[in-house]
Amino acid sequence: MTLKVGDALPELVKHPTTRQLVRYAGAQGDFYEIHYDQAFAQSVGLPGVILHGLLKAGFLGQLVTDWLGDRGTLTSFEVSYRGIDQPGRPYSCRGRVTKVEGDQVELEVWGEDSTGNRTTVGTATLEMKG
Amino acid sequence: MTTSTAVIDRLRARIGKDGPPAEATVEAGHLKRFVEAIGDPNPRWAKEAPPTFLVALAPASVHLEEAEEYGKGWLNGGNRFEYFEPVKVGDRITATGRVADVYEKTGSSGSLLFIIFETDYINQEGRKVASLRGTAIRR
Repeated sequence: MTLKVGDALPELVKHPTTRQLVRYAGAQGDFYEIHYDQAFAQSVGLPGVILHGLLKAGFLGQLVTDWLGDRGTLTSFEVSYRGIDQPGRPYSCRGRVTKVEGDQVELEVWGEDSTGNRTTVGTATLEMKG
Repeated sequence: MTTSTAVIDRLRARIGKDGPPAEATVEAGHLKRFVEAIGDPNPRWAKEAPPTFLVALAPASVHLEEAEEYGKGWLNGGNRFEYFEPVKVGDRITATGRVADVYEKTGSSGSLLFIIFETDYINQEGRKVASLRGTAIRR
């Protein structure tokens, strides 16, 4: 399969729950209370508990590695967190090819909340197998 | 503003100084718990670390206690990973982190303190397998 600029990655939709945030907190070792303690989250001005930025990065990593398979190697992966996301709402991960130069490929990836707002944006660079 | 300036000055004094190295072995059980928490069923992760796993092996950004005098909460601004070699089950990884930059920005919703962290991940053979740059924000 030949990659070309504009190719879309298959969408990955996640349905995060507070339970998942607790599991992720344990697996990563990030026990900051804004991810599982509603009262604490509200005390620092949040509407409630929010997803870990790195959990959203994990979702976007899955988007990329599912699509890439064994066709190449991920050489860099960058994400910026632009907005908060709350459990109980679907989170859609999407991406597209933005550059193809020989075996060097760049992707734009992003995560959208249920209103289509891009709360996480990022890029991935890949080295494809010859 | 005197207080926040003092906090920023103390944090800036740490720029470029390596923190204590953290060592950990990549364990299959930890990988399994990590990918189950993300909900990524790819069988590849039975033996190999997925893209963001290194943050679970050693802290991605040191939540510096002294920074907590500024604002009321932490936010993660972003993460950038660079990969040089795959990380496999059984690898012994040493993570060394440092503060790369500290600065304040004032916007419409008030002031924010940005702390940029860098972490290098070295394997048991002394080769750098990955690096991470993270932006932690106090608001």
